[in-house]
Amino acid sequence: MPSDLDYRSPSTVDHALALMSEAPGGAFLLGGTDLLPQMRTGRRAPSVLVDLKRIAELREIRETADGGLSIGAAVPLADVETHPLVRARYALLAECVSTVGAWPLRQRATLAGNICNASPAADTAVALLAFDAVVGAVSSEGRRTLPMSRFFTGPGRTALRPGELVTDVVLPATSRGFAGSYLRLSRRKGMDLATVGVLVGRSDGELPPRYRIALAAVAPTPIRAVAAEELLEARGPKAAAEAAELAMDACAPITDLRGSAEYRREMVGVLVRRGVAMLERKARP
Amino acid sequence: MSAPRAVGREVERVDGVEKVTGAARYTADLKFPRLLHVAVVRSPHPHARVLGVRTERAARAAGVRAVASGRDFPLHTGIYLKDQTVFATDRVRFVGDPVAAVAAETPEEAAAGAALVEVDYEPLRPIFDVEEGIADGAPLVHPDLGRYEVVPWIQPKAGTNVCNHLKIRKGDYEGALRRSSRVFENVFRVPQVQHVPLEPHVSVARVDLAGKVEVHTSAQSPFTVRHLLCACFGLSHGDVRVHVPYVGGGFGGKAGINLEPIAVALAKRCPGRWVRVMVDRHEEFFATVVRQGLTATLVTGVDRHGKVQAQKMHYLWNCGAYGGYGVNIVRAAGYTCGGAYEFPNVWGDSIGVYTNRPVGSAYRGFGMQEIHWALEQQMDFVACELGIDPVEFRLLNALGAGKATVTGQVLDEDAGRVDLCIRKVAAEVGMDPARQRRPYSGKGIACAVKAPAMPNDAASSVVMKFAEDATLEVLISGIDYGQGLMTVAAQFAAEALDVPVETVRVRGCPDTDLSPYDWQTVASRQTWATGNAILRAAEEIRRQLLATAAEALGVPPGELALARGTVAHAASGRSIPLARLVMGYQFPDGHAIGGPVSASASYLPEGLLFLDPETSQSAKPVAKWTFGAQAVEVSVDRETGQVTVEKVSACYDVGHVINPGLIRGQTYGGIVQGLGTGTMEELIVDTTTGRAVNASLMDYKIPSFEDVPAVLTAEFVETPQRDGPMGARGIGEHTMIPTPAAIANALFDACGVRIHDLPITAEKVWRALREKERGERERAGAAGVPAAAPAASGAIA
Ligand SMILES: Cc1cc2nc3c(=O)[nH]c(=O)nc-3n(C[C@H](O)[C@H](O)[C@H](O)COP(=O)(O)OP(=O)(O)OC[C@H]3O[C@@H](n4cnc5c(N)ncnc54)[C@H](O)[C@@H]3O)c2cc1C
Repeated sequence: MPSDLDYRSPSTVDHALALMSEAPGGAFLLGGTDLLPQMRTGRRAPSVLVDLKRIAELREIRETADGGLSIGAAVPLADVETHPLVRARYALLAECVSTVGAWPLRQRATLAGNICNASPAADTAVALLAFDAVVGAVSSEGRRTLPMSRFFTGPGRTALRPGELVTDVVLPATSRGFAGSYLRLSRRKGMDLATVGVLVGRSDGELPPRYRIALAAVAPTPIRAVAAEELLEARGPKAAAEAAELAMDACAPITDLRGSAEYRREMVGVLVRRGVAMLERKARP
Repeated sequence: MSAPRAVGREVERVDGVEKVTGAARYTADLKFPRLLHVAVVRSPHPHARVLGVRTERAARAAGVRAVASGRDFPLHTGIYLKDQTVFATDRVRFVGDPVAAVAAETPEEAAAGAALVEVDYEPLRPIFDVEEGIADGAPLVHPDLGRYEVVPWIQPKAGTNVCNHLKIRKGDYEGALRRSSRVFENVFRVPQVQHVPLEPHVSVARVDLAGKVEVHTSAQSPFTVRHLLCACFGLSHGDVRVHVPYVGGGFGGKAGINLEPIAVALAKRCPGRWVRVMVDRHEEFFATVVRQGLTATLVTGVDRHGKVQAQKMHYLWNCGAYGGYGVNIVRAAGYTCGGAYEFPNVWGDSIGVYTNRPVGSAYRGFGMQEIHWALEQQMDFVACELGIDPVEFRLLNALGAGKATVTGQVLDEDAGRVDLCIRKVAAEVGMDPARQRRPYSGKGIACAVKAPAMPNDAASSVVMKFAEDATLEVLISGIDYGQGLMTVAAQFAAEALDVPVETVRVRGCPDTDLSPYDWQTVASRQTWATGNAILRAAEEIRRQLLATAAEALGVPPGELALARGTVAHAASGRSIPLARLVMGYQFPDGHAIGGPVSASASYLPEGLLFLDPETSQSAKPVAKWTFGAQAVEVSVDRETGQVTVEKVSACYDVGHVINPGLIRGQTYGGIVQGLGTGTMEELIVDTTTGRAVNASLMDYKIPSFEDVPAVLTAEFVETPQRDGPMGARGIGEHTMIPTPAAIANALFDACGVRIHDLPITAEKVWRALREKERGERERAGAAGVPAAAPAASGAIA
């Protein structure tokens, strides 16, 4: 890493944006758990690091006016997964968060960092996709929101404009109370990126229920398997095997050090079927 | 009322508080005035001729104080085969091979300087596989092999890539094979893996203005480092001083010599300055050393009773670019090729092959986990094919007193009881053949054996002396990198002289100018060799104490007893505390006798004989064997291939348990390391570029705490070793040897698939299960029987 790296830690969003516009080669810094390793290996060489962790506005979890939940960009994942409202209303998000690295890492790593890094294996992204989360962003052109469904544009790429800053991620009230599980295969049990991640969720206490299937590490970005969801909504859990086939069709995995494309695709099928079966088991007392 | 014995008790680690509080200093913690930092210029090619190295621009760069490169250091080094220079001279042999190095005031200036070193390469065809390496017309990795200096018991083949070939010819293999009622052949493979020590390699050196060389290094063997440094720089041993502070893990990767020559080469260029070479985690993976790869082909012929009569073992070792150390792994694997079994007729070949991969070297087990991966699966395979219980089959063929190893050595009564180890672990995990079976859950067993693989004259020595208050100081040059040597040394000393273990201080961070000689901390030899030396030194200490006390009390020494820190004369009831004896005894009239009590002693295994160069027969090729076994219980996820190791039970015949806590720790640690190499570890080299593609902890996984099996058990048999200290023999490496094979055998028991190539990954198991189920469906279909429905639909298409 270059030793002449400039480091700034503004206390307002406006100041952060101004610093970034002065130094277009800069990068925002949250936990740094993606950015710093990338700098060490030379994959990225920002001229200035604009650390956002001192900005109070970005460090809160708060309810929105319409009953949603806003998670500030600088909130560490450990605070997300232990937050009472997250656990009560979006337990599946807490479950996904708890699979990221290990507890010490989650003291630094953030939700916003996880999605801005846009890894195909981003574990929190599957829950955010499943819950139709909305990303709040601000730039010199003003504030805007981006739905998660349009946030990722490719591996390591997002719909953010250069210099645009994510302020928070908002979980809508309509996504409260999904039950289900995040099933994840990795080479070892602790501290490993997902080889395949499959979230299967179903809304509780609604008739007919809504289903959610979201996949990690099996496509250029985390994705939702919408056709599989719709099939389950139409035909219920007995269609699990066909839904699994649809989810397998939705993915486009690659072969890498963690697993082959073929294995990943097959595992999507296995895990979707298991996820649906687990819904049934959880539902019955 | 006697003090608690020191040996056999769970004495706390003597280095524990220092290590837990951070008081313990490791090489990278040491502060040096005006330290220079180093960047190494490494080959980007797996195999190339070096046409020229230009260092002038680098030498002129800001902050650069020294540049060193190939031709300035033409002497070769290597512990058994001198096949390596400090920097590549005319040829680079792997991606990472050092070509030059730059020392500068800051790490950034060193890196900038290194970037200015210009090297002209002419790429040559690389070889990565052993099969390629031994093929006719293969490009030679070491065209000068025939000119290298080598110890007499290593046999390189000039004009080939074979750096050592050991042959075992015992009995009449061909005849026995013809007479066998059944014959089985299998091929097994082991990839290169890395040690992943918590502390990466680091060495600091200075050449002072008088020319004396001083080195601080993270190494397993200070004296061997000194010896080999002298070889590669043409120095006198009197002018080189090596210090080894605490070491954060070695596992064999810090045996012999590693970064030290680079540090010294640069230090010679800037006398008076300290120069530090340190690799980061990325470089640690491919630029230091790795475990050798293995392709093993085994043929087993059995008679009607299930006794193995003919056994052929063909081992091809992937030694990587240099074999200075690895050649002895090839040898050890050869003379141990029969494992824990009695094979009457043996044809064995253990062949080391140079390739353009990272450098193979010592790794905990020294080839034994690799050959046991093959042999212990083969034994299981044969047992299952014959319909014999794998436990019974092992007992039927096991070595023991009166039986002959593959080198024709007939084992003595004190050799240890593998049969007991087999029975104990089988009972512990419940391997009764009549047991209730659950689908996709299985149990497997594997044995292990290893001898210290070392030169016949490898020795250890110690110095013992007292401080004024009768604190007993024990100077050793074995390295405690976690295995507990310092604690065990304190226990032996305390036991032998009956002093409280708390009053013993083990000086365990050696300095070759001041510490007693020790060959190396490898080969599971320290408790045994240093232990023996301590017991001998203690005898001399006792003699001196009693002689002085006898004169002081005016009684014969034979009437005195040394106990609990006092020399006592029972008949008269008189006694003298050690504090009044250890510096000499002073009489009431003022005259003094004796003097500071101290002793040194050494241990060198006696009676070892070379192997016959053609047949490797020898009545005593090694000092001792340690036998053991592990049994494992696994469950398999049929649809994902994930294998969960639920329980591992180990039992070893260690002669005498010196410290129950430490030996349990060694055993559990070894099992977890075995689980790593067994289920997840493999250093992958891209065979177009020669680069290690997973050289980071993100891509190369070792077990985390969550991977540790839910149940681990350790038991020990204690058949005393005649020449072991209080009967003890080595155990450090053995604990990881059988684990992968035991897991593989349990996997087979669980679901009928066998993985021949390490590691046992979920995806490999999934593929094997899919193949097997497809085969079963096809056979069922061909037989006109409706195919059995798979347990869950859809997944297995
Ligand atoms: C040991 C280890 C294990 C890991 N395990 C996992 C795992 O299991 N699963 C997983 O998904 N990830 C894992 N990761 C990756 C990483 O920890 C997560 O992606 C984490 O959530 C990133 O958050 P951060 O706050 O550290 O991001 P940072 O590294 O600070 O930032 C990430 C990226 O986002 C940009 N950025 C930061 N803030 C903003 C902003 N407000 N607006 C716009 N862009 C911004 C940065 O410039 C950078 O490009 C692991 C990492 C490590 C080191």
